[in-house]
Amino acid sequence: MRRLTLVLAVSLLGLAALPFSRAGTAPEDQAKRAPRAEGLVLARCSVCHSPDLITQQRLDRTRWEATISKMVHWGAELSEEEAGLLVEFLAARFHPAAPAVVALSDVGSAEPLQADVPQTLGMPGGVPQYGATVFESNCQGCHGAGASGGFGPKLVGNPILNADALFWETVLHGRGSMPAWEHALSRQDIADVHAWLKTR
Amino acid sequence: MKEEPASRSLSRRTLLGRVIQGLGVTVALGHVIPRVQAETGDVSKHEADDLIVHVARPLDAETPVQEFASYLTPNSRFFVRSHFGPPLAELLSESNWRLSVSGLVDRPLTLTLKELKQCEEVTVTAVVQCSGNGRAAHRPKTPGVQWDRGAVGNARWTGVRLRDVLTKAGLQTNGRHVQFQGADRPVATTVPRFVRSIPVEKALHPDTILAYQMNGRPLPLLHGAPLRVITPGWMANSCIKWLTDITLNQDEAQGYYMQTAYRYPTRAVTPGEVIAVGDLKPVEAMIVKSLIAQPRDGTSLVPGPVTVQGAAWTGVGRIVKVEVSLDEGQTWEPARLIGEDQPYAWRQWQYLWQTSIAGPRTILCRATDDQGQTQPKTSPWNPSGFLWNGWDRVSVTVAE
Repeated sequence: MRRLTLVLAVSLLGLAALPFSRAGTAPEDQAKRAPRAEGLVLARCSVCHSPDLITQQRLDRTRWEATISKMVHWGAELSEEEAGLLVEFLAARFHPAAPAVVALSDVGSAEPLQADVPQTLGMPGGVPQYGATVFESNCQGCHGAGASGGFGPKLVGNPILNADALFWETVLHGRGSMPAWEHALSRQDIADVHAWLKTR
Repeated sequence: MKEEPASRSLSRRTLLGRVIQGLGVTVALGHVIPRVQAETGDVSKHEADDLIVHVARPLDAETPVQEFASYLTPNSRFFVRSHFGPPLAELLSESNWRLSVSGLVDRPLTLTLKELKQCEEVTVTAVVQCSGNGRAAHRPKTPGVQWDRGAVGNARWTGVRLRDVLTKAGLQTNGRHVQFQGADRPVATTVPRFVRSIPVEKALHPDTILAYQMNGRPLPLLHGAPLRVITPGWMANSCIKWLTDITLNQDEAQGYYMQTAYRYPTRAVTPGEVIAVGDLKPVEAMIVKSLIAQPRDGTSLVPGPVTVQGAAWTGVGRIVKVEVSLDEGQTWEPARLIGEDQPYAWRQWQYLWQTSIAGPRTILCRATDDQGQTQPKTSPWNPSGFLWNGWDRVSVTVAE
């Protein structure tokens, strides 16, 4: 309830403040933090909305702070340090004087949030019967009951199931409108889902 | 809205368990054509063709303005906006979906769609417009979906009067606000649900309906199947989609989407200024507005007569005048109002322009309603960028 009260206290301007640190704003600092900030957008913000909602905004720092505060109050999984980094990145890139179209990323390569980029050889073996349960509570909403397709693609018989590296890359880091799952599901969960899908 | 005191990892898990009910379209980012499933359960047709996508997930997409040359906006070209995307289609199937009416009523109801349809069927042609339509024109920019001109449409809505349903339930005299909730849910339980209310006077108005058809077809999933509220003359934030719960309360709905969002200052404000809660009121009625559907912005015209046409509408009252200016607003000439003149619908207009000077030209239009309200050059700035109704503008080039 306390959090709810906080949410309601956030005004239209949402000036409830997180203690955002004022890190350096020099271009080299911006370049340095960009890959991590992009990774955060893809992994944390994209759980609820696609990044295009962010890239179309042109806000000053105060409003970016208010926005990130609101999102954290609403459950975005950002540490104080991560929230501060995102504010710096967004305020420098999507400010009121920025051009009409600005991509999230210049290089298109967000930094994975974990160092252990998937090495398929090192992935655990999956247990299909557990995978069915994990699928039902995490994937079915988009990929449909029985993985037969819905808003997301049909996965039964989908060639991606046999392209291990692509499968893991997609699930862990997201692709298109699919969010990144690496912090939501364990490696074992994903392996179980993978194994179950292959039995379908 | 209760928050469950789950551990952080558990809440995260719940959060993702609910993930993206109705995760949009398999589209990449940016302006693309979404291929979205059509009417509930039918994935073979397309529900949203050729819209301009602002947010891929949850889908927010607007209609290209040239569509507004027709009186009715086709379902597949109607703008799409929601906070969380559509619920799972199976929750909305005839066997699963129910409408609950509770709160300050004598006889709480739980109705199937079939039972609901026992009320008298009525049809209203009405403009439905996002409160943020035109937000991209506000300076300084305001946060939110950067709608350009097309988050609006005119459709024939068929359903039953909300009044009849409330009467059936026996509303009590202290029930002053009618609260709506749909079946859509946020990804995270920590995000407030989209709960809104309208004053009982608007709810009891005979033209306020619960619609199950749009332009003579079953309401499409993206537009709120199987039932959505239509509050003619009011902005779309009251037109709750995927409606499942009506609650009669003494007070306005609580929660973010009623008490904080969709509020507009009652006085002029400057950017950055702190606005007292008492100076904000809910966005309700639309205001006078017009758009140029033809010719399209950026087109090149052959010299000679050109038909300039578009649509004009308002919230309260009727459109009585649309004017066109070809000299940046120094002089205005009347356009001809044509077609049907229905309350709540938009009015079509035409202006025959004899192009005489070659080169780049700007066409402006503005409408006036019978309440004496005329579109201003620009609309008052407000923190959420609502209610833009500045003169519409199209730039063309007349060839030699």
